[in-house]
Amino acid sequence: MSRRSLSALLALTALTLLLSLVGCRPSTPPPAAGEMPAPPKENVAVYAHPTSFPDIDPSISYSNDSAVVSNLYETLVWYNPPMQPQLLRPGLAERWESNADATEWTFYLRKGVKFHDGTDLNAQAVKYSIERTINMGMGASYIWDPVEEITVVDDFTVRFQLKYPAPLDLIAASGYGSWIFSPACVEAQGEKASKWFNEGHDCGSGPYTIESYERGRRLVITRFDDYWGGWKPGQFNKVVFEVVEDPTVRQQMIEAGTADVTYDLPRENLAALDARPDVVVYTNPAFQNLVGLLNVRKPPLDNKLVRQAISYAFPYDRFIQTVVSGYAVQSHGPVPLGMWGHSEKLFQYTYDLDKARELLAQAGYPNGGFKLVMTHVAGDLDERQVGEVWKAELAKLGIDLEVRGMSWEAQWDLGKSDPMQAQDIFVMYWWPDYVSPYSFLYSMFHCEEETLFNLGYYCNPRYDELIDRGNELSGSNRAEAERLFIEAQQILVDEAVSLFFYDLVNTHAVRADIKGYVDNPAYPHVVFFYELSR
Amino acid sequence: MTTLLRPFLERWIRERRSQLEEYRLMLRAFGRDWLAVASLAIILLFVFGAVFAPWLTPYPEQGRGEPNVLEKFLPPSWQHPLGTDNLGRDVLARILFGGRTSLSIGFLVVIIAVAIGTPLGALAGYFGGWLDEAIMRLTDIFLAFPSLLLAIAIAAALGPSFTNAMIAVALTWWPWYTRLVRAQTLSLRERSFVEAARGIGVREGTVILRHILPNVMTPVLVQATMDIGSAILTGAAMSFIGLGAQPPTPDWGEMVNLGRIYFINHPWLATFPGLAIFLVSLSFNLLGDSIRDIADPRTRRAAR
Repeated sequence: MSRRSLSALLALTALTLLLSLVGCRPSTPPPAAGEMPAPPKENVAVYAHPTSFPDIDPSISYSNDSAVVSNLYETLVWYNPPMQPQLLRPGLAERWESNADATEWTFYLRKGVKFHDGTDLNAQAVKYSIERTINMGMGASYIWDPVEEITVVDDFTVRFQLKYPAPLDLIAASGYGSWIFSPACVEAQGEKASKWFNEGHDCGSGPYTIESYERGRRLVITRFDDYWGGWKPGQFNKVVFEVVEDPTVRQQMIEAGTADVTYDLPRENLAALDARPDVVVYTNPAFQNLVGLLNVRKPPLDNKLVRQAISYAFPYDRFIQTVVSGYAVQSHGPVPLGMWGHSEKLFQYTYDLDKARELLAQAGYPNGGFKLVMTHVAGDLDERQVGEVWKAELAKLGIDLEVRGMSWEAQWDLGKSDPMQAQDIFVMYWWPDYVSPYSFLYSMFHCEEETLFNLGYYCNPRYDELIDRGNELSGSNRAEAERLFIEAQQILVDEAVSLFFYDLVNTHAVRADIKGYVDNPAYPHVVFFYELSR
Repeated sequence: MTTLLRPFLERWIRERRSQLEEYRLMLRAFGRDWLAVASLAIILLFVFGAVFAPWLTPYPEQGRGEPNVLEKFLPPSWQHPLGTDNLGRDVLARILFGGRTSLSIGFLVVIIAVAIGTPLGALAGYFGGWLDEAIMRLTDIFLAFPSLLLAIAIAAALGPSFTNAMIAVALTWWPWYTRLVRAQTLSLRERSFVEAARGIGVREGTVILRHILPNVMTPVLVQATMDIGSAILTGAAMSFIGLGAQPPTPDWGEMVNLGRIYFINHPWLATFPGLAIFLVSLSFNLLGDSIRDIADPRTRRAAR
């Protein structure tokens, strides 16, 4: 009988394992609660952040690390949140101007700005910062590609000579690769500066400086007393970035008040969360969309009619209302809601299977009868659900959709291989490096000799001409640039080169006693803690 | 026809009387063991559910993966006894259809593992020498890795799919059977009936097939029964981390993984497929345990 009890024990172990798979995580106490000696609540903010921070070197940061970096460093120019009369506002530059064809830009710097090491901001520091970023060639450094030369005119004036016209004000407002830092501070670290940054140091001029950093777990920033903007009572003296990957734990933290800000919570729970008196859920456009690039080189999607047919076969409204609980908006073309260059006038495909059948019949596939492969990132539930829902609809047209979840690297590698061997539909999100429609229109649809992000392999010289011209004019004549970008988008929509599923909205859950919170989609998931108070 | 067959049948029964008597005793012992009977009943219930899934649920298309988004996250009710999932699919239908994936992974993994492991073990045990050495070192290599980790590595290398997950798990399991069969063979080889067979000139291959293998099958069967439960669990774990069956193909492990995200507000999503995994793997464990007790005459009598 002892064998029996052994086996029962095994089975119990199996049960325990299973239960730990199923449900033990939500019962884990939020890390912030147990491990920190409750700090004085009135001047500390806690940001429960769903990811760690890959690289906090200001020249390299090109990811979620921006949430931290944006509180340590400043840019010459800031991009305003949507719905404001001005697109941009001054940062470290008080004002700026360009020549008529946008090939020479001059920035006039703010005086009296101190870096965290005590040195002063001057034109030399700006030149040094941008040049370091360009020379390192990492992260988003390519946004500076138009720059030919940076000249120090005087202590507080810096001039950029460009190789070709470009909207340098927008580039200087980027949340990636445009940070200004103290040359003395970086030079002191020599070759090892990047490593030193990532051990938990900074050289910025921003309102906060790093106090401590446990990589992958927690980063604490504390206020910089000499910040040029000054300090008022009620502002946060300290901010803790707590890395909490589990969404349910983050939700518990915001409910319990052990976190003040968080995002990426289960959408189904947001309405209930917002109804609580102590939490506010902010919903804003995200400058980010979900697209399904269609392989225009490989049959049957090389046929425009087939592409249009499958564009009519996705239940946009139903999907957005039910599966994503209304936290998205059907796209009008590739430039997302809230960004300049977005146009409500662009045509939208709607869910219309009869129309789809008609188009398929015209294309010579009256009963479907072909197979399509759609690739997406395996861990992304929304992309997967898009696939599952679309598969059922396409089945009604006699089209067999294979939904293939892969790692991003594998999905991208397949996409970059020979188009004739690659996927038929490449589903991914796109968001801009600096806020210009060109980021969307160029990366995903401009002719590419070697595939990078044009994963539908579209190539149309007329389209390229429109957007290249638009980009040249973005700095000098933004209204005309916008018109060209919209005209170009109309081509994409007519040719149905991609599914434009929906534009995302960002939701951030913030404790109700936090004042001054405004989401700025130009800096995704960045919380500018200096603007907040309690 | 029957008259023709009867003499053969009678002779067959006569020759195997003692063996049949043994089976009868085993069956009776089994019938007395309520835990074993209950386990078998649960297993049969799930197998029945998986086989006849399309006729047992009013939503077979949802079981196969067709979304019904207007009814998402409905709690358990008469229409949907176990509720609906994130795409509005009936969870009961998903579990029935998921049984096809999960149960077949359990059975197939064990069948493949037995098919690889048993002959290798018999060869190693019977011939000994360098062959034994080579096969045993090979099993050592496989056993040196934690089995789930090795399975994950193999499945990740082959790419996530149902078949690959199955191959990966089976590849980590066969060494156990090799060791088991080798140990049995080593002792059988010295037994007089094997020596006698060899003495009268029976070929080596025939000795293994006719005299060794039938005698190692009982422990292998016991081990296999117990392993099916663990194989289902491992298969579920593979699906849980996204290396098993790919959605929308239903699979219990995958359902638990998905349900985990919604656990706080919609606990039925993870709980019911979790329960299915739990019940089936527990049942196979208990059943295997009982078979072992029953197959061994000493424990069988002790149990009386």
